[in-house]
Amino acid sequence: MAQGGYVGKILYVNLTDGTTEIIPTADYEQWGGGHGIGSALFFDRVKDKTVDGFHPDNLITFMTGPMSGTLAPSASGRTEITGIGVTQYPVGWFTRSNFGGRFAGMLKFAGFDGISIQGKAEKPVWINIVNDSVTIEDAAGLWGLNTHETQEEIWDIVTGQPDVREWWGIGGSRDGGRTTQKPAVVTIGPAGENLARNACVLHDSGNGGGQCGFGAVMGSKNLKAISAIGTGSVPVADPAALMELRTEIKERFGFNPDAPSLETPVPGVQLYGILNAQPGYGTLLWPPMAEGAQPQGCMGCFKNCRMNHANGYANGDICVEGLYWMASSDQNENMAATTLLDQMGLNVYDVMAHSYMLELYKQGILGPGKEIDTDLPFDKYDTYEFIESYTKAIAYREGIGDDLAEGITRAAVKWGRYEQDTATGLLNRPQWGFMEHYDPRLEVEWSYGSLFGDRDINEHGVNWHVHWMPLVTAAVGQDPLVSAEELVNLIAESTGVGDPDGWDYSVDGIYSDAKLKAVSWHRHYSRFFIQSALFCDWAWPMLVNYNAGDDHTGATPDYEIRLLNAVTGKDFTYEQAMEIGRRIWNIDRAIWVLQGRHRDMEVFQGYVYDVPTAAPYFLPIKNAEGEWVFDINVGRTLDRERFEDVKSRFYELEGWDPATGWPTRDALAALDLAFVADELEADGKLGS
Amino acid sequence: MADTENGKAPEQAAAGVSRRQFLTGIGGLGVGALLGGVFVNGFLLPEEVVAIPASDGYLLVDTKKCGGCESCMLACSLVHTGRSNINLSRIQVTQNPFNAYPNVVDVVQCRQCPYPSCVDACPTGAMHADAETGVRMVDEAKCIGCERCVNACPFTPSRVQWNYEDGHAQKCDLCANTPYWNEEGGADGKQACVAVCPHNAISFTPRIPVQTDDGYQVNLRNAHWGNLMYPTT
Repeated sequence: MAQGGYVGKILYVNLTDGTTEIIPTADYEQWGGGHGIGSALFFDRVKDKTVDGFHPDNLITFMTGPMSGTLAPSASGRTEITGIGVTQYPVGWFTRSNFGGRFAGMLKFAGFDGISIQGKAEKPVWINIVNDSVTIEDAAGLWGLNTHETQEEIWDIVTGQPDVREWWGIGGSRDGGRTTQKPAVVTIGPAGENLARNACVLHDSGNGGGQCGFGAVMGSKNLKAISAIGTGSVPVADPAALMELRTEIKERFGFNPDAPSLETPVPGVQLYGILNAQPGYGTLLWPPMAEGAQPQGCMGCFKNCRMNHANGYANGDICVEGLYWMASSDQNENMAATTLLDQMGLNVYDVMAHSYMLELYKQGILGPGKEIDTDLPFDKYDTYEFIESYTKAIAYREGIGDDLAEGITRAAVKWGRYEQDTATGLLNRPQWGFMEHYDPRLEVEWSYGSLFGDRDINEHGVNWHVHWMPLVTAAVGQDPLVSAEELVNLIAESTGVGDPDGWDYSVDGIYSDAKLKAVSWHRHYSRFFIQSALFCDWAWPMLVNYNAGDDHTGATPDYEIRLLNAVTGKDFTYEQAMEIGRRIWNIDRAIWVLQGRHRDMEVFQGYVYDVPTAAPYFLPIKNAEGEWVFDINVGRTLDRERFEDVKSRFYELEGWDPATGWPTRDALAALDLAFVADELEADGKLGS
Repeated sequence: MADTENGKAPEQAAAGVSRRQFLTGIGGLGVGALLGGVFVNGFLLPEEVVAIPASDGYLLVDTKKCGGCESCMLACSLVHTGRSNINLSRIQVTQNPFNAYPNVVDVVQCRQCPYPSCVDACPTGAMHADAETGVRMVDEAKCIGCERCVNACPFTPSRVQWNYEDGHAQKCDLCANTPYWNEEGGADGKQACVAVCPHNAISFTPRIPVQTDDGYQVNLRNAHWGNLMYPTT
């Protein structure tokens, strides 16, 4: 079969001396794409892996996947970023972020599978990619602009018209190709320029790569933006098969807006989209404005979870971006706050800690002349004036914003609040300084995965079903769409793990060997399929389907592989792909170990062990009678001792030394990672 | 208004108007004043003008229902060329994410003009109306690459494109020529963009749509769309 997917070149840019180099993608295809290639490039090209994220030697890679820019549903639009992060506490681990939109596709149309960047420019620059032409441009005129202004300015510079809707020819001759499209730009805002550790990168209106502070890493390199526009094609090995798969997935798993098979019983409950994929559901809580809205999707999506709004605010923003600040009774102001956040280039999940600060303000600890001195108008918390001054203070490092731009965790450390407030959970940061995303005492493939990894995993494939499905149906007055027993059996089958006990969240279930296998599956699946092949986390894996009547069989594991093979012409099996995932997870683990990771560091903050859960939290459990039920799991903590035992058993499962958490030579060699073992051994950090 | 039902030529296209002027005026920007929802098999043009049969099909796009995912573009290039390239798509979605709804997304597609300037402009007959279906399409073997058709299209952006990878003009053929698709395409078959659109925001019709110079008046949103709280009017 013909080969397809990759376009063949990875661009390497050294900003220190302004040189570029082409790395053949073929040299790295074994890693699948995205994250895997980013990790391998980092391992090969960064000699001292302990460098700080702000060090010029830190190598950040923006990678596409083999299906980027193709019709593969919800597997075409995302770009993976890898490099050493600057948000995590206490160590900025080698890590990742990821954003949607059309950057990945456009980069491939320009002829590149990815861009790897090292060094630091003397003065602000941006990278301008127009098909084969790569130039490093002076960014003096862009520095200081917000993320939206920067993009409009670059569209104008590249195409000579800020709002292209006419054919635009590249290179003067008709053979250079023509496009009606705007350059796809990923940029930083003032926050990134000012090295705010919570700075994101931003593309188009609301596509942010937020966690881990890559906006600040770009800023430290004096890199304002990367722009790509291209007219080339992405080869597809079996186009007819891809078309067939696409229409099949639409019919079987998609939401038919003209005649839905499953429709929310309460109009306006956006959360229901978690179950039926109704378009535009991604804002979770905001229904479309009365003045009008339409769904909006990343390139090639079959769900289109975002929206464009009649007030022009918050276009393309989803999830926590929409929850940034909801204190105003005027929804326009709440949406404007989200847009301001995007324009400043800040990661919402860190800076939404204004609610933590409000608590400190109410307790009399924070405020004008208080222990934590600030003149931010917390007395006007529900006004736009507050959120505007708060957001800009961080982006421009003004006043207390200078503390907050270090990330809320480092700010709390500086204020002497960190130990105390993470012990009580007032500051709910369970691991590595990251915001609690889902309850770490209960939904443990999320918390274990985050702790054994590098950040907040932010992977929802299991979470949609085990947590959200019973919650959303309860919220609209429905019974769960499938029973707890059917659900865990579906997941066990779909993942290939086989044992439904892996999704038992009971007091004992969260420590079981079956659970650890489920956690391990999650790590390997995500590293390959979500972060390297770049299936979108909001669509894949599809472990359960609610849109085909009584047939709840999900698309996983069958369709991912068929899509991948149709596009690439390779002959992947699910098992092989999972092994690549395991390999990537292990090279990452080795980098963390070289950075200083040890078993002793892998502990949660105090509240996870000591403060019982108080609010109902739906998850399936196998009860004392051996029956599967959805429980509300109140009054639960994580047991320190049992968790320490989990660590030993999980390390062994992964082939890591239970005493240290370091990978062993045998385990690495079995993954064809002997060269990684050599480097660990040279550093005295090989597991035994 | 033209009396299209009985096939009479429009009054304003009386003697003294050349065929070229006639086509420029009516095939393109004047078309909005001319037609509305009437099934037309052909037009009898003024003297010495050859009648060009109407297309048996048209694509309707509801931009307010469009999600901007560009799947239609990816599908179009895929089924026609076997490659993925939004720039080689015959349907073009353009967006400005910083605008406000409904001004974020534009979708433009060939309107299969009753009086097609592109066909008229072609010196070799490469751009032609299909004998069976009337769909305006390119016989690639006859295309000499002069791009007169590209320039003749009265709309912006032009609905006829220069395919710079394969070296010929191309335009929407309603998927008549889709070697990389297992389905039967064309005016009497399926269209790839219609098949893949997640919102069914693209639809096929055999009837000439109601239209103005700006495009068709299309609303493909029913009560279920309203249940999602999106506008249906």
